[in-house]
Amino acid sequence: MLKSTVVAALRRLLQASLVVIGATFLLSLLLRLLPVGLEDLYVVGVNDADRAAFARELRLDRDPITYYLLWLWDFVRGDLGWYVQGGGLSEPVSGRLADALPVSLQLVFYSQAVSLLVAVPLGIFTALRVGRRSDRVLSYGLFTASSIPNFVFGLLMASFFGVTLAWFPPLGYVAPSENLGEHVRSMVLPVAALSIPLIATYTRLLRTDVIATLREDYVTMAVSKGLSTRRILFSHVLRPSSVTLFTSFALNMGALIGGTIVIEQVFTIPGIGQEIGLAIFSRQFFALQSYVALIAVGFIVFNMVADVVVGFVDPRTRERRSA
Amino acid sequence: MDLFTRLCAAWMSLMVLLAIVGPFLPLPDPREADFEASAVGPFSPGHLLGTDSNGYDLLSNVVNGARTSLMIAFVSVVVGGALGAAIGIVSAYRRGRLDRFVNLLFNIVLSIPNLVLGLALVAILATSSDPSVVISPSRRVIVIMIALTFIVVPVLGRIARGATLTWINREFVVAARSMGMRDRHIILRHIVPNVLPAIYSVGFLAVGVVIVAEGALSLLGVGVVDGVSWGAMISRVAGEFTFVPHSMYVPVTVLALTVIASNQLGDYLRSRLDLREGRL
Repeated sequence: MLKSTVVAALRRLLQASLVVIGATFLLSLLLRLLPVGLEDLYVVGVNDADRAAFARELRLDRDPITYYLLWLWDFVRGDLGWYVQGGGLSEPVSGRLADALPVSLQLVFYSQAVSLLVAVPLGIFTALRVGRRSDRVLSYGLFTASSIPNFVFGLLMASFFGVTLAWFPPLGYVAPSENLGEHVRSMVLPVAALSIPLIATYTRLLRTDVIATLREDYVTMAVSKGLSTRRILFSHVLRPSSVTLFTSFALNMGALIGGTIVIEQVFTIPGIGQEIGLAIFSRQFFALQSYVALIAVGFIVFNMVADVVVGFVDPRTRERRSA
Repeated sequence: MDLFTRLCAAWMSLMVLLAIVGPFLPLPDPREADFEASAVGPFSPGHLLGTDSNGYDLLSNVVNGARTSLMIAFVSVVVGGALGAAIGIVSAYRRGRLDRFVNLLFNIVLSIPNLVLGLALVAILATSSDPSVVISPSRRVIVIMIALTFIVVPVLGRIARGATLTWINREFVVAARSMGMRDRHIILRHIVPNVLPAIYSVGFLAVGVVIVAEGALSLLGVGVVDGVSWGAMISRVAGEFTFVPHSMYVPVTVLALTVIASNQLGDYLRSRLDLREGRL
């Protein structure tokens, strides 16, 4: 049993590395789609020899595959390329990333934590009252909330709670090391904007699964043995019901990174999203490539880990997959 | 069909209608600033929904923006869906090495969060060779369509592939094959009609995703920035809603309602589909 899990995990790892290589290669090809030669973007009015030397420094004279392999080798060693300015390299991307990444990760983790904390009790509550009026109203509400894009919540809340009521700062970011109280206050609105659609999604998933689990024979058995509702919920229902939720949780890590990009823009939070926006605005395509590649790698790793962990939590999926 | 679904269908039809007849309605030019009445609230004379701080009429921008936003959504979902479905169905039908390769390709594209990939694609395709020349809104619309089409292909392709795999071993397909029916005929007569319902329902969901993406790209500064679209409206007021909040509420509400409607319609189609499948 354990051996098959290890084999499955290894196979998953191989698959994931193939996808990582494919995705990063695709991104490095994207740069070739530019309607202009990359070197021409950064140098104006220099002679041909200098321009050729600059193109060589940026490796633009290499063929796509060599270019990619060199890029990959740098990427693996943590060299994410350079910002380019006026015909020279100005600043390593990794330096900027070191400042921006923690901020984005804070947003992602806060949002996931808040979403789970609200969604788990809410999902169980709605599942226990399935079919009643309160459940129907709540279900429509949740469906609606899960469809509304997070930047809509972000803008509405920034305007209402940030400006009209002035409860929280409508924009800006304060580092936790600087002032913890202000940090929390500055994160409330962006985290709420990211969490509301997630809470709705998670609650709906958990509700469906709990309803299905409650119909299982062993739950009827537990009820007939006279176990308390709480005991049944926690020791018999919650674990088998949480598989879909967990998978969605991991899948949403990637979606959240996409979401934070927009939310960071709305609330002017100096995370990866802002760096990507700046990179596009100032035509730093090497930096853009590295940021996007990093996001893709993170996304793939989260999915892979989720897949393997789900295999441990719920042996049924493992058997189904090997069949 | 319950009341909620009907409301959603009605809203969607209204938006499509506005997108079609919008330019013929007696509304001010969406790009013409009314300096006499800038930032006026809703129900002002001549401006039913008010104006933003530039003096642009909000109702006119919503109506004419529907044209751009829905066209982007429609074109990228239809083109991307058709391409994805064709690739998915053929690859699942052929199986083997081709199918494994196509599946890997889909996984690769899906491994980059769609908004991030769209952002990168638009940023790269909409770079003008001369920094002093600004790219025109109409070219931006085309670039956005191309980028979003590219994103839709693997989403619907994967659905088509999965659906084909469930139909391919059904008795009637096996029977058709054993009678010597040509592959092309089997795909067109037996597979496609059965796969289409799944494509339709996910297609509606994709419309929602694309409308959101158009708005998000605008907020990030690479949308139809100077044009007339819901995203453009949102991006114009994103920095100044402190002063004229209603100019942000209007496009945001219209966009959210449209996304809710297309999601609900997709969900409704899917539940109908499950019913039909359950009866078999």
